[in-house]
Amino acid sequence: MSRSYFFRSLLLIAVLAIGFISCAPTELDNSEEKGAGVPQQQEYTIEIKQMKFIPAEITVHKGDKITFVNHDLVTHDITDDPGKTWTSSALPADESWSMTVTQSSNYYCTLHPTMKGKISVE
Amino acid sequence: MDEIFVTFFNNDFSNNKLKKMIMKKMTPAVMRSFAIAFALFTTTGPAMAQSNPSLTDPEVAHVAVVANQIDIGYADIAIKKSKDGEVVKFAETMKRDHTAVIEQAAALAKKLGVTPKDNAVSQKLLADADKTKKSLNGKSGKAFNKAYIDNEVAYHKAVIGAVEGLLIPETDNAELKQLLQNVVPALKAHLGHAEMVQKNYK
Ligand SMILES: [Cu+2]
Repeated sequence: MSRSYFFRSLLLIAVLAIGFISCAPTELDNSEEKGAGVPQQQEYTIEIKQMKFIPAEITVHKGDKITFVNHDLVTHDITDDPGKTWTSSALPADESWSMTVTQSSNYYCTLHPTMKGKISVE
Repeated sequence: MDEIFVTFFNNDFSNNKLKKMIMKKMTPAVMRSFAIAFALFTTTGPAMAQSNPSLTDPEVAHVAVVANQIDIGYADIAIKKSKDGEVVKFAETMKRDHTAVIEQAAALAKKLGVTPKDNAVSQKLLADADKTKKSLNGKSGKAFNKAYIDNEVAYHKAVIGAVEGLLIPETDNAELKQLLQNVVPALKAHLGHAEMVQKNYK
């Protein structure tokens, strides 16, 4: 009887131990996955106001979404600088345009080339 | 500097800060154009007792619309005559933006029940613009591009000075004042853009 009790206790300790050990790393794995594997998309807004991108510089993660809102009374655009590899095309007053960020880039308005902004991916 | 210009700055303007600002920002030719326009207005206008030019809101609205139309007129000439892509693109922006400003001004005037009223300032601006357009039409090639962009730099400096120094202070209606204030950053961006293009023609 005492022998079987001893083994049962051992088994219980073993099960608890395994449970404890396997639980902790699982939680760690999950949190790592959130950061790299399946990133959670963050959303940002850049306002175009008084011929400026506000904020003019923004740091995001790859896959985040940025929405540009044109509050001015004139048409603008948002275009990769200098390569023009991507563009919003003409964005009239009171309209908005969204992009999913894939890489860091400088951008400008081709209609008003003094208007500049910067997206940094960290 | 001719006499009427000097007279304008010595007698008709009491605001020293404004005087300095306009002197600093305007090139002589365009400065003279605005100075004569305002001087003309004060000597023929109804508010002679006041030391500053005085405009009613319907007159401010008219000056604002005319100033925008004038730049659209210059842009049309450039779009037709220039073969420099950067100059044409700049001119297209001027046409697009100044048209948008006029549309906003017209919508606001309608909402407020204000009919823009012709006045000595807008008449003088139009008369001077006609001369500039004739001069631009007489040029071609590189000389045209240089003359157009030099005039755009000078014209935007003058308009910024006039909007900040005359039109905004003269406006009573809060919404019209706000519209004029909203236009200033666009005018400044245009000036910066014009100066970028101008570097190619130094
Ligand atoms: Cu723009």
